[in-house]
Amino acid sequence: MNSFLTPAIAGLAAGGTYALLGVCAVFTYRLVAVVNFTGAAIGSAGTFALIALTESGYPTFPSVIAGILVGAAVGVLIGFIMTRWFAEANSSTKAAVTAALLVGLIAIGLRLTGGQHPRVMPDLFPGSAFRMAGVEVTIASVLTIGLAVLFTVLSDLFLNRTRIGLHLRALSDRPLAAELIGVKVRLLSLLVWGATGAFTTFALMIIAPQRSPNFMTLSLLVVPALAAALVGLFRSFWLTLAGGILLGVVEGLASSVDSISQYRSAIPFLVILAVLLWSQREARWDEAR
Amino acid sequence: MSELVISSLSISRSELPVVSEINARVESGSISVVLGANGAGKTTLLEGLSGIIPVASGTIAIDGHEIQKARPGQRSREGLAHVEQGRTIFGQLTTEENMKVALRDGSDLSEAYGLFPELLQRRTVRAGLLSGGEQQMLVIARALLTRPKVLMIDEMSAGLAPVIVSRLMAAVRKLADAGLAVLLVEQFAALALGIGNRAYVLRRGRVVYDGDCKTLLRSPDELHKLYLGG
Ligand SMILES: Nc1ncnc2c1ncn2[C@@H]1O[C@H](COP(=O)(O)OP(=O)(O)O)[C@@H](O)[C@H]1O
Ligand SMILES: [Mg+2]
Repeated sequence: MNSFLTPAIAGLAAGGTYALLGVCAVFTYRLVAVVNFTGAAIGSAGTFALIALTESGYPTFPSVIAGILVGAAVGVLIGFIMTRWFAEANSSTKAAVTAALLVGLIAIGLRLTGGQHPRVMPDLFPGSAFRMAGVEVTIASVLTIGLAVLFTVLSDLFLNRTRIGLHLRALSDRPLAAELIGVKVRLLSLLVWGATGAFTTFALMIIAPQRSPNFMTLSLLVVPALAAALVGLFRSFWLTLAGGILLGVVEGLASSVDSISQYRSAIPFLVILAVLLWSQREARWDEAR
Repeated sequence: MSELVISSLSISRSELPVVSEINARVESGSISVVLGANGAGKTTLLEGLSGIIPVASGTIAIDGHEIQKARPGQRSREGLAHVEQGRTIFGQLTTEENMKVALRDGSDLSEAYGLFPELLQRRTVRAGLLSGGEQQMLVIARALLTRPKVLMIDEMSAGLAPVIVSRLMAAVRKLADAGLAVLLVEQFAALALGIGNRAYVLRRGRVVYDGDCKTLLRSPDELHKLYLGG
């Protein structure tokens, strides 16, 4: 029994991160209509700012805050590029642009952070939170999942209860009509990019110590994140949340089976393939009717 | 007294001139009607005025204040409202949420409901589920809540039943009588000329008639010639 439970629970922290990154991707897609490949790279920038600061001897807590601010700033920068020059482009062009930006960010990030050698990442939340059926559940996994749930609940409340949220929903529905009645479209878009940048950064800071962090591996966490977002069909926050956690657990399980553990990073691709094929079947079904 | 003054305005699309050297004005308390066949450049003119597309040359002024370089949101805050062709409601939002997006300091939903009481019963309905007439009322109401000085409406009667069109025309007349400057674009002339003061007819992006509505209304042959370029 424990031989399954242990690796499954070990996958929870990763799952929580995938979930949070996925929910941020859905948030970005729904509000500013961009399938964002740079999400995790933005978070990596903030995380490596934290590493650089702690390595130069700054205390942890202020460095975490500074790192989150760097993540938010890089998010705003990418958002500026997207709203300034690609606001009118269709969604596949925008996705392609963010994929190109991802390549650029990884190149710059690797150059600035000393290549693919893993760096020493302070473990912000070491230790275990509690035991479940005799297995340790780490604080990191409780935190990432908690953060993902918090982000989901908060964005729901924010979008449905506040004036800015109402403007954001109008913006996501019809950007031009919103702009014509005076909604501050660019400012709100940058706000979305900044907020997701900050949340993503914090999520990556929590998970990085378990991931031999180099800039590229962290940035490529966007793949499982987008797989989770696909499970929610880029609409549902809760399905994305569940998809991300499940993905982490399945990965954890796969790593405990010797014959497939080498291939466990292919699991997100299988999920992406399966969801895309399934949604294609739906489309064909609709056409046939 | 507010007014919109358009001087030598030219607008291009895909590098081709679509609207050329237009001079026109819309005064507070009156309705200027812009007529013209399909493709004459009416929508392009409004899009240039509200800043959706850039203007090639010329000036646009509200109360003497030039706005042709401002972004759409800024023009809206300067008092220019554009009700686009095609009833651009926020389909996912309720009727009332649609209006709340437009609320400014000093505007109040009761003004909108006063003009279109029909919307009050539909306030919690998703706007995508409203009828065409209700959607048209909603986009006009939404524009009003931005407290405009100048209201531009593009093809509001397209595809609607005659009784609803009359209802909308009466509402627009009421707004002008209350002091708004209205620029009304229509492809089908008679009803618009009936409520309008001044008329402009566009053909291939140029003004081919500039005069009062009554004169045109009395000579349908003349109007027909203007449309077709006899
Ligand atoms: N996006 C566009 N790109 C290039 N040309 C356009 C575009 N939209 C409209 N046009 C052209 O501009 C001219 C005027 O169109 P429009 O302003 O929509 O006319 P109207 O509203 O009077 O029917 C037409 O010849 C049309 O083909
Ligand atoms: Mg038109």
